[in-house]
Amino acid sequence: MSEKKPTLPGNEFLPSIVVDGLDRVFAPFNGPNTIGNSPIFWIAFLLVALVALAYPAVTTPFRVLNTTGYVVWIFLALSLTLIWGYTGIFSFGQTAFFGLGGYTFGVVAKNLVQVTGATNLALLAAVVLPAVFAVVVGYFMFYGRVSGVYVAIITLAVTLILELLFGRTAGPQYTIGAAELGGFNGMTNIPSLAFGIEPVLVELDPVPMYYFVVGLLIAGYLALRYVVNSNYGYVLIAVRENEARTEMFGYDIRKIKLQAFAIGGAMAGLSGALFASWNNFISPPVMGIVTAALPVIWVTVGGRQTILGAIFGALGLQFLDSELAAAGSEFSVVALGVILLGVILYFSDGVVPAIASRIEDRIGSSPDESVVLEESDA
Amino acid sequence: MALTNVLDITGLMLSSFGTLVLAAVGLAIIFGMMRIINLAHGEFIMIGAYATAFSFSAGVPLALAIPIGGLVTGIVGLVLERLIIRHLYDRLVDSMVATWGISLIFAQGMLIIAGPSFSDVPTPLGPISYGDFSMSLYRVVLAASAIGLLIALYGIYTYTTYGRHARATMQDEETARSLGVNTDRIYMITFFIGSVMAGIAGGLLSPIVSIVPTLGQSYIIEAFVTVIVAGPSVILGTILSGFSLSVVNAPVSQWAGSFAGRVALLVAAIVIIRLLPEGISGYWMEGGE
Amino acid sequence: MSSGTRGDGTPILETDGLQKTFGGLTAVDRVDYRLPRGDIQCLIGPNGAGKSTFFGLLTGKLRPTGGTIRYNGEDITGLMPHERVRRGISLKFQTLNIYEELRVSENLRVPCQRRDEDTRTLIEEVADLVDLTGKLDQPVDTLSYGEQQWLEIGMSIAVDPELLLLDEPTAGMTVEETERTGELIQTLVETRDMTALVVEHDIDFVRQIAEQVTVLHNGEVFRQGTIEDVAEDPEVKRIYLGEEYGGD
Repeated sequence: MSEKKPTLPGNEFLPSIVVDGLDRVFAPFNGPNTIGNSPIFWIAFLLVALVALAYPAVTTPFRVLNTTGYVVWIFLALSLTLIWGYTGIFSFGQTAFFGLGGYTFGVVAKNLVQVTGATNLALLAAVVLPAVFAVVVGYFMFYGRVSGVYVAIITLAVTLILELLFGRTAGPQYTIGAAELGGFNGMTNIPSLAFGIEPVLVELDPVPMYYFVVGLLIAGYLALRYVVNSNYGYVLIAVRENEARTEMFGYDIRKIKLQAFAIGGAMAGLSGALFASWNNFISPPVMGIVTAALPVIWVTVGGRQTILGAIFGALGLQFLDSELAAAGSEFSVVALGVILLGVILYFSDGVVPAIASRIEDRIGSSPDESVVLEESDA
Repeated sequence: MALTNVLDITGLMLSSFGTLVLAAVGLAIIFGMMRIINLAHGEFIMIGAYATAFSFSAGVPLALAIPIGGLVTGIVGLVLERLIIRHLYDRLVDSMVATWGISLIFAQGMLIIAGPSFSDVPTPLGPISYGDFSMSLYRVVLAASAIGLLIALYGIYTYTTYGRHARATMQDEETARSLGVNTDRIYMITFFIGSVMAGIAGGLLSPIVSIVPTLGQSYIIEAFVTVIVAGPSVILGTILSGFSLSVVNAPVSQWAGSFAGRVALLVAAIVIIRLLPEGISGYWMEGGE
Repeated sequence: MSSGTRGDGTPILETDGLQKTFGGLTAVDRVDYRLPRGDIQCLIGPNGAGKSTFFGLLTGKLRPTGGTIRYNGEDITGLMPHERVRRGISLKFQTLNIYEELRVSENLRVPCQRRDEDTRTLIEEVADLVDLTGKLDQPVDTLSYGEQQWLEIGMSIAVDPELLLLDEPTAGMTVEETERTGELIQTLVETRDMTALVVEHDIDFVRQIAEQVTVLHNGEVFRQGTIEDVAEDPEVKRIYLGEEYGGD
């Protein structure tokens, strides 16, 4: 590969004040561990964000509601990107934390609503509980030196066990306060997100809910970019790339994996909680084998080692799936399978990196870490 | 009565062991040899079941229909191996995702081609009973067939040229190749054998399941779990793993229903892997460490 | 992490009766070993003598079945590898262990960012020590094998260790590269107040750098002394070359 001249793409036709401004503002989020570090990328990012924010104004609340339903799942995909793409922990059971998050939100929200009229802390509880559970499962695995495909098996078993257990909670005796778990039929009437205290309430109707979720996504995206390009991000990558070598620099591998896994659990829990409040309903199959495979598929197709990969994979495949289903096609599942195969065989790093490298070939590559390390590090 | 209970549990164990081993053996061969996980394995079982059921409904006696099911599945597997799988050797995670894609295609494809179900295959032989206890004799046949298949595999891997070459390749691929072993062909044959085994398993299971496109999904999880718990040794590991898991699964199912039995199996798998991070046969072979 | 010289004369590393058995095989057999601070010593012996196992016990990768290890007077036998590194031990692995998908600077960043000083400065400093200054932005697969070995040596000293363990650092190197590696190790030990223990097969390299040599055989300490003494010893020749070659 020939050495490319280190020109910033877009430098040539953008005014330097814009280039400098973008570089300065987005510098903490730039680095070699993410795709897209150039001014042009950030302009595109801002445009996309703008479009996303303007979306409700040009469409019906129903479509907004629909779109929100896709976006809530993205956090689940992102959780897998963090722990698998960046840290190398192959978890087949992120849906366990998703489901726990959803059910926790349901239980806490239904009870809080009775008291205050709003869901308030339910969202927080729905993030914390799965995180705690992730610490337990993670401790069990990583401090027991379980790794590789065995982690996949254990995490898969965990999510299936939860599916089975929650499926057996039918009947009035399985009620926590005001919330009946509902067994295999699931928990109904889960309130939508609402903040405040009676009578000062902000209830999130479809459009505000959309903004809330998209806002979380943008914030989450930027936060992840910051983390993976920081020292901590390099630790995760080092663990992924060569555990033995990393351990011999003084890093406690077990603790690092546990932390990453807990954060992943929290993110998946958030995803589940947002889903439960959007859907007003949750049931055990969200922790079953078919759902468990989804984040793995999305992230693999999109690009496992990039944050954008999770977003595009999750959005794109959900969208494709529902378009095909709407067209009455029984081939949607077949199409998914074919796409999966195609990506593995021809774009083994995923679609987003493949597109990114084609773009880079055209307009030059982005600033390198030499730029990043000139700032003093976190 | 206590004796009935014991017989019931033994019967369940036998049945569970037979099913687990049958479901797992094809997957185990492929995982043990080529370190790839074929998540379409459940659909291979399904194809075997369908091929058997189809032959049976066309008048072929069951004892012949089952090997036909195996052969058909073997051919499907062979085609798949040549087209897709051979690009994925040593790419464990990629093989899982790619074969998951294949499983989606097969399951949905069978639904599109053959409809939501196919005519059942009746269970041959009758019950075997003792006092209050009664169990289908066919279940014993299943367990016996499972062991029979393992013995046949042992024979293949020990006494044939393919078997010797295959074991060499499993131990050290580069050395085997430099000694003249055509490792490409070994992988192909191995995948064929694994597929045939899955097909035969499907054929053997066809009398006791409904012939639907999703029947593979019921087996893939158990097969996957059994294989990983088994560790690197195919025959020994699968036996020990199948045994350990059914020892847990059967009494719990007897007591608390099949849901609980499933949970117990999964919990047992988790515990075993935690204690023996390389699987049962991995621990066995290392002499403990 | 590096300290001044300890005046009380304690060796930096000692093992007492260190033992490791695997099933029926005793790989390390009651080894008593003392490494004085500031020395460069080598550990040699025929294949299967137990050198790698001994190193594995020192780094904490393996748990001993008997005996103790003391580092700067502290019993570290029960400590995990990363805890030992934090006390000042570092390892250059036998087989090349770098981050093959990353660039040179990123490889150095991982150990360097553990320290308090500015990471970028440290990276440049270490790169300078191992002669890779111009190549910081390159992916490591563009480096020659010798450069990659040096990169790993650089990484292992980037954590500023007191005790550097090197497992066959010159394997696969040319004669010239080997000699330069020897000079590098000597420079590092002198300028950074380190001690080095090196497992090696290359006798010329041992001759170049080692103050003292320990010969392991069948898991036991067979001989100790200067390289001249040990190389001339007919018993040592015998264990390397077999009975019929003993005595010349």
